[in-house]
Amino acid sequence: MKAFDISNGDTLSVALFTDVTNSKELLDSMQAGTLEPEVAFLNALLIPDIFPVLAAAHKTLLSNSRGSLTTRTLHSELVYNYSGSKHITESLKRCGISDSSTYVLAARFNGSPDVMKAIAALISGKEIELEELEGKANVAQIQKHYKIPGPELGISSLADAITCRIAARDAL
Amino acid sequence: MEVDADAGGGSLVLLKQGAEARVFESNFVGRRCIVKERFSKKYRHPSLDSKLTSKRLNAEARCMTKARRLGVATPVLYGVDPVLHTLTFEYVDGPSVKDVFLEFGSHGVVEERLDDIAAQIGDAIGKLHDGGLVHGDLTTSNMLIRSSTNQLVLIDFGLSFTSTLPEDKAVDLYVLERALLSMHSSCGNVMDRILAAYRKSSKQWSSTLNKLAQVRQRGRKRTMVG
Repeated sequence: MKAFDISNGDTLSVALFTDVTNSKELLDSMQAGTLEPEVAFLNALLIPDIFPVLAAAHKTLLSNSRGSLTTRTLHSELVYNYSGSKHITESLKRCGISDSSTYVLAARFNGSPDVMKAIAALISGKEIELEELEGKANVAQIQKHYKIPGPELGISSLADAITCRIAARDAL
Repeated sequence: MEVDADAGGGSLVLLKQGAEARVFESNFVGRRCIVKERFSKKYRHPSLDSKLTSKRLNAEARCMTKARRLGVATPVLYGVDPVLHTLTFEYVDGPSVKDVFLEFGSHGVVEERLDDIAAQIGDAIGKLHDGGLVHGDLTTSNMLIRSSTNQLVLIDFGLSFTSTLPEDKAVDLYVLERALLSMHSSCGNVMDRILAAYRKSSKQWSSTLNKLAQVRQRGRKRTMVG
């Protein structure tokens, strides 16, 4: 587990899990709104590096501070922002978790150590280091989802390409 | 639980002030960054002003990311703030091509390096133009050389637009040619080397260069209006 300072003292705590067996339960309780504590689950196959997640978190906190969230909660907004698309349902489906997800990044804003412990207890899986993100990412799926053409990868890393799409979404 | 020490948000240090925008250095979730703020013009009507400012802000973000998709290196965009009219992007560590060329002027030209830079410039412009993107402000101070990789990075897409007309592309090249002539005539004929690389990189080079010959005769403006 690791915490990152995003802006003005707000932090994002993240933990990466593999071999997750209860994603269906997690998804059900999340959709019922009974997930406690509130947390964002991201499809880690689409995350080659933590930086784009932090950029999405920054965007989320900014719109939250202005009271202009597009989705219902702060944490669903993070998943929506990470997707780089304007389609909410599709974003949550692709960048969030599904029934069959086994590889998941949990992210929580301003999570105290106790809250993070509670979150780790929710997930039945094995926690691994963030350094594993790069090796486990699904490059083909990322290129397809974010529409990253070959020439772009000649001059840019996958993570930077994703960051640009997250940042530029509302300008397009 | 470890917390990454150096915070985001942080302080803004003014680097440059232009007619359209101010440029600051700052920190974005742990990385050094540049913040470009388009300020409002008090002499414009407020509603027109806010419309123009946000339109240009979005256009710049769009053109920067489009250039990347075409395989031309630009700074990584970190964020767009439509309320404060700011763009936040990667801090590229390295000198501008202008500084490199001026150095050549005063301390002698390193032919190999000049060739490499000219080839990268021509190649980058060719890719932009074939993708239908015109930079609009090609000067040597809007080109950086990343220190770690010697890669050319184009900046300032504030005047960029999409166009497939040979006229617009030729004017783009002409602006660069004039800039090179006035600033860097001591470097020899850099433009020829740039155009040689452009010819290799752009499939539509022939119509653009024909147009360039016409533009040279008459200057940047097509009509004598305004």
